[in-house]
Amino acid sequence: MTWIGRRAITRMLDLAALNRTRPAFAGALVLIVPVALVAVVAGNFLGSAEQRIAIIFLINLIAVVANGLYSGNSGIMSFGHLGFMGVGAYLSAILTMTPEKKAMTLPNLPEFLAQAHMGLNEACLVTIVVIGLFAFIVGTPISRLTGSAASIATLAFLVIVHSILNGATDFTRGSQTFFGVDRLVTLPSLLFWVALSILAARVFRDMPAGLEIRAAREDELAAQAMGVNIARRRLIAWVISAMMMGVAGAMIGHFLGAFSPKKFFFVDTFAILAMLIIGGIGSVTGAVVGTAVVTVVMELARRLEESPILPSLGLPQVFGLTQLALGLGILFVMYKRPGGMLGLAEVDDWFKHRFSVAAAKITSFAAEKRDGALVVANVAKNFSGLKALDNVSLELRPGEIVGLIGPNGSGKTTMLNAISGAVPPSSGSVTLDGVAVAGKPAFRIARLGLGRSFQNIRLFKEMTVLENIEVAVSASGRGGDIRAEAMAALEELSVAHLAERRAGALAYGEQRRVEIARALALKPRYLMLDEPAAGMNSAETRALMTLLREIRDKYGLGLLLVEHHLELVMSLCDRVVVLNKGQMIATGTPAEVQNDPIVIEAYIGRAHSAHSSPSAATERSLS
Amino acid sequence: MKRVPVHILAAGLAGLIGLSSIPALADDLVVGAAISLTGGLAYADVPAQKGMQLAIDEINAAGGIGGKYKIELKLKDSRSDPAQTSVAAQELIDDGAAVLVTPCDADPSIGAGQMAQAAGVAAFSTCASSPSLPLAVGDHMFTNFPGDNVQTTVSAKYAIDSGYKNAYLLMSPDTSYTMLPNYFKTVFEKLGGKVVGEDNYSMGQQDFSAQVTKIKSLSPAADVIMTGAYEPDFPAFIKQLRAAGITAPVIGSDGIDSPTTFALGDVAEGVVFSTAGFAAPGNPLDAFNKKYKAATGSDPDTIYIAIGYDLVKVLEAAVLKADSVDRDKVWAAVRELENVQGATSTITYKGTDGVPLRQVALVKVVKGNRELVLQEAPDPALVPAPKL
Repeated sequence: MTWIGRRAITRMLDLAALNRTRPAFAGALVLIVPVALVAVVAGNFLGSAEQRIAIIFLINLIAVVANGLYSGNSGIMSFGHLGFMGVGAYLSAILTMTPEKKAMTLPNLPEFLAQAHMGLNEACLVTIVVIGLFAFIVGTPISRLTGSAASIATLAFLVIVHSILNGATDFTRGSQTFFGVDRLVTLPSLLFWVALSILAARVFRDMPAGLEIRAAREDELAAQAMGVNIARRRLIAWVISAMMMGVAGAMIGHFLGAFSPKKFFFVDTFAILAMLIIGGIGSVTGAVVGTAVVTVVMELARRLEESPILPSLGLPQVFGLTQLALGLGILFVMYKRPGGMLGLAEVDDWFKHRFSVAAAKITSFAAEKRDGALVVANVAKNFSGLKALDNVSLELRPGEIVGLIGPNGSGKTTMLNAISGAVPPSSGSVTLDGVAVAGKPAFRIARLGLGRSFQNIRLFKEMTVLENIEVAVSASGRGGDIRAEAMAALEELSVAHLAERRAGALAYGEQRRVEIARALALKPRYLMLDEPAAGMNSAETRALMTLLREIRDKYGLGLLLVEHHLELVMSLCDRVVVLNKGQMIATGTPAEVQNDPIVIEAYIGRAHSAHSSPSAATERSLS
Repeated sequence: MKRVPVHILAAGLAGLIGLSSIPALADDLVVGAAISLTGGLAYADVPAQKGMQLAIDEINAAGGIGGKYKIELKLKDSRSDPAQTSVAAQELIDDGAAVLVTPCDADPSIGAGQMAQAAGVAAFSTCASSPSLPLAVGDHMFTNFPGDNVQTTVSAKYAIDSGYKNAYLLMSPDTSYTMLPNYFKTVFEKLGGKVVGEDNYSMGQQDFSAQVTKIKSLSPAADVIMTGAYEPDFPAFIKQLRAAGITAPVIGSDGIDSPTTFALGDVAEGVVFSTAGFAAPGNPLDAFNKKYKAATGSDPDTIYIAIGYDLVKVLEAAVLKADSVDRDKVWAAVRELENVQGATSTITYKGTDGVPLRQVALVKVVKGNRELVLQEAPDPALVPAPKL
């Protein structure tokens, strides 16, 4: 289990973490009750045809929820999950069929499979384990891809699994029908797996892994800067959702009794995705609602097309109304609500305020004391010939505030990116308390104690303010009560009252503060802020200055400020580093730098340097 | 505009849906068709349904089967999906169907067939040709199309009669004609022929140079090539085969009974394939085609229409024999049917496992047109047993 990491397991078992997910448990329950009602009513009061419809609905539900667990949380639409369903169907069927039947239909099975004979639920468990391993192997490379490349990779995976199912004739009978599977699916056992799937998907969303993968969906760069190991988080979601698809496959296989690889290919992939998209890909509630709505609409359309209503109205009996209704439904929902009926909303959003947010107990964001400094030595960065950074060196010690200034395009943000690992330097070294970090992935550097904010605010817009901070606390990997620590970070920046608001809906100044709170929540030793005062009025700027000074004093942080606001730089910084055209042209106290002729020349040009008051001129050109 | 209250709409809809089941008369033969009117199998099931409808209209217009029993067709779209087929089949069985018609594919047919088997209802696949279908389901499952083993019995005998002694087989584990060349092999060897080479290909493989090279180097050389390949593989294969200068005759199956084959030009010249029927002036298929044109205004564009017609003619014969529309009696009568005259052929279920003995037509491609080589029912003793 080293792949999840011991730390992650400890966190999964952490009661405080589970406490956070209480609304999610309640939400899952609210979803499970009506689903269970459908199963109970169909099982006890309806005919066998209606029971079949209910069973298909419930199996689809597992598949849709599973696909949503990966596609919705990661933001990467998976076209490959039906592959796991196929493997699950074949594997579980081989396990439940009697050896006598297998000797007849699958004479070339290996001995251990030929002799295997167990019940459906046991077969499900074996299937879950095997598919988990399979998904881990397949998912390792896929989880390193992002965006549409990842989607295309899942599509390729589907095609490959389809070919394997067709080609592995000794196990699957190839493209011929695989039959002789006992129809073991009963509504109660199916309901158990459905409830488990809904619960798992809903709780996963609010567990640390779910929180972090959603953050990566909103903004990969910012998530990495907060310490999120995106590939690993995606891998976890991929594996869990694959296991659930395996169960869905076992269920459909033991419901149909006969199937072939084409049942697990494009047609069903799009049917499952349609339900997910209609309901809302980003939420478990959406997955459940989408499956229910599509099932009801298609059943109504089907009854209409089979009934003599149309002929009695003088219209021809038309088949295909179901697909027509589904197509129109997708168009309508996409037009009205591009995120699906539920968008990102969960049913528990309606009542989660009843669950109190734990009061902040943590008051210190001080990182453990260590000797050392952030040392940048001879760092260069070339962008295809353009020298964005040319052998720049600087040092930032804990407790110190250093300003990084320079004209537009001088390389300041590139410098922050080179240090944080967002854009690895072409040459030179970056050491963080003696650890060489140049070339390491951004999330590792963040976890070593480097927090940052971004020039153009990069909050996880669709998540709440509190969740934004929780991501950083969670990804820092230090454990503890994620929610309480996140609240404490918000209080530190005086934005705790915004905790439940959607981050993207905040005013500009508030977003800046939340972004600083998020960086602080990492418990960094060093904090790099990229134009924190941009867009603030003078009162807000002064408040920010006070705040930054307080944070520095309280936690002994080293602060690296990229800022155009000279008043802020000059009064706050202990030292200032000036960049121009990628080169460091001056460094020293604010006063020294302000009067450095080279600096003045860089900002306003040679001609005026003799006549202008340097500080006034610099301020004009900088602001 | 005033809004119509939702509950009125709902009540209206519920009422309309309630209308949908009109009870059948006791003397009607209720045929439940859970077939694919949309999706991947519609290419075969829709024409089969047209043929069935023509036969039903004809019979009902004449006062019903034997002037007594009208046929009521309950039609449900199974959308080429096995899960939907199982729902539709269940509804039809619950609705009192005495006979169930299932799609032109083994997956949904096995599932629905097993339900019919459990309910004691005879089930017919419109045009699935896998002879293992009844084996997988039981004695209530019947196929309608000439089975792969029946087709190849005729084509293998033709090969022997034509003097071919050494055959090469090209087959694929991932197409719907997987077993077909194997049945050919069984019969060909039984009649004294020898298979000198066989290869697998993958569906959609396009490049057949490895197989073509092998055929060229065979010793003794193959004097006939048999394959279950169809589009897009067959056109690619035959082009590369002829381009390599190999002139050995090629035998295919109903999979290449499509306009593409006749449009291939010189490379397809002389290709022989087995299929369900051939319209020669004055024969039953020709008569059917004329009848179909008179009823619908268009020529039948696929053999599946006539195949659908055949299915209803079988049911008609069974009800006549049973003099009843009771599902058990109809089923028992089907198993005793002999030489029922359909549109494509005479059809016999007596003594079979559910795969009918039918005449098979061998058709040769001549200058882009079809030419009948022969049409005959195979010797039952030669037909290989279905393989799973």
